[in-house]
Amino acid sequence: MSKYVFDLERSARGLRLNRFLNSLIRREMRELFLQDPNVAMKDLSAEERDMVTRLDWKAMQDYGASFFCLEKLARTKGVSNPQMVAAFRGETLEEFLKTRRVPGAR
Amino acid sequence: MARIIGGIGTSHVPTIAMAFDKGKQGDPDWKPLFKGYEAIAKWLAEKKPDVLFFCFNDHATSFFFDHYPTFALGVSEEYRIADEGLGHRPIPRLKGHAPMARHIAKSLVAEEFDISVFQDIALDHGLHSPLTMMWPTKPDWPGAVVPLVVNVVQHPLPTPRRCYKIGKAIGRAIRSYPEDLKVVMVGTGGLSHQMIGERAGFNDEKWDREFLDLIDRDPERLANMTVDDFARLGGNEGAEVIMWLIMRGALDDRAKKIHDSYYLPMTTAMAVALFE
Repeated sequence: MSKYVFDLERSARGLRLNRFLNSLIRREMRELFLQDPNVAMKDLSAEERDMVTRLDWKAMQDYGASFFCLEKLARTKGVSNPQMVAAFRGETLEEFLKTRRVPGAR
Repeated sequence: MARIIGGIGTSHVPTIAMAFDKGKQGDPDWKPLFKGYEAIAKWLAEKKPDVLFFCFNDHATSFFFDHYPTFALGVSEEYRIADEGLGHRPIPRLKGHAPMARHIAKSLVAEEFDISVFQDIALDHGLHSPLTMMWPTKPDWPGAVVPLVVNVVQHPLPTPRRCYKIGKAIGRAIRSYPEDLKVVMVGTGGLSHQMIGERAGFNDEKWDREFLDLIDRDPERLANMTVDDFARLGGNEGAEVIMWLIMRGALDDRAKKIHDSYYLPMTTAMAVALFE
């Protein structure tokens, strides 16, 4: 199994970050986050706030974020899944799309 | 008595919903996807099932890790469409079939499948990204859904064997429902994809084709595999295809695949198959 598998250890480690990411399913949280991110992220640690602010997808994943919770942040910030996958692979979006059969299907 | 008239296996990739909502039917990049679902939509329009029993997963949208059920059955009359970060899709609320869902819940627990049940929980793309490819939304949905939310997100996941077994129990539950209703089983997820880690972007068309064959001819062999096997062969997130085994388990033993379609444009192999 991949060491990135979202198991109970990873879930426990990422719980606070995932709770914040999941809260972005609410329109008022998205608006607050876009207008005043530090207020929206008040329950997060300094390290967590930093990763979210920089949209460091790989760092958030390594820390314990669920991919499906990261999707909520990505949608809020207008980032696509191929962009996130490229970040996990350590590639630019353009590099990643070159490996795909239909790069326009996104 | 209620009858199970067929089954559908389908991917539930969120971009399927995006392509539908943006009207990409004529776009060359998306045309093969829409083409693959035409036979399914036509079959449903002809057969007119009353209920679609949907095996799918929530994507940490309405179910969060503070309390994460393995199998959760919707027993409500109606379900809201979830907001997953972009507002909810412009489609009508889903109609449930509460009396049948309650019957299934009682029947499953009597058979020692101790599922959880839920009422007013918004359903995410796991259910309705494939649904809009198959069922019209105007003037309203032509029938009801009974949703079964399966944990394929937070390990430990249920075993493939457990999925197959609960599928068989769901089949018995539906067939013992006294009203004369037509039901179609839908199993969602896959096919191969991995969204995380060093293998993000992984696909294997060869394994996907083999899966589409085995789910028809030899579901027992798939049920004998482990979640780790599915993750190794079809990618970490691709292991969610164990939900197809729930659908397959509920079908009549004589059911045969009569259509399938496969398209792998980006990160996830998009497939749909019809069983009758």
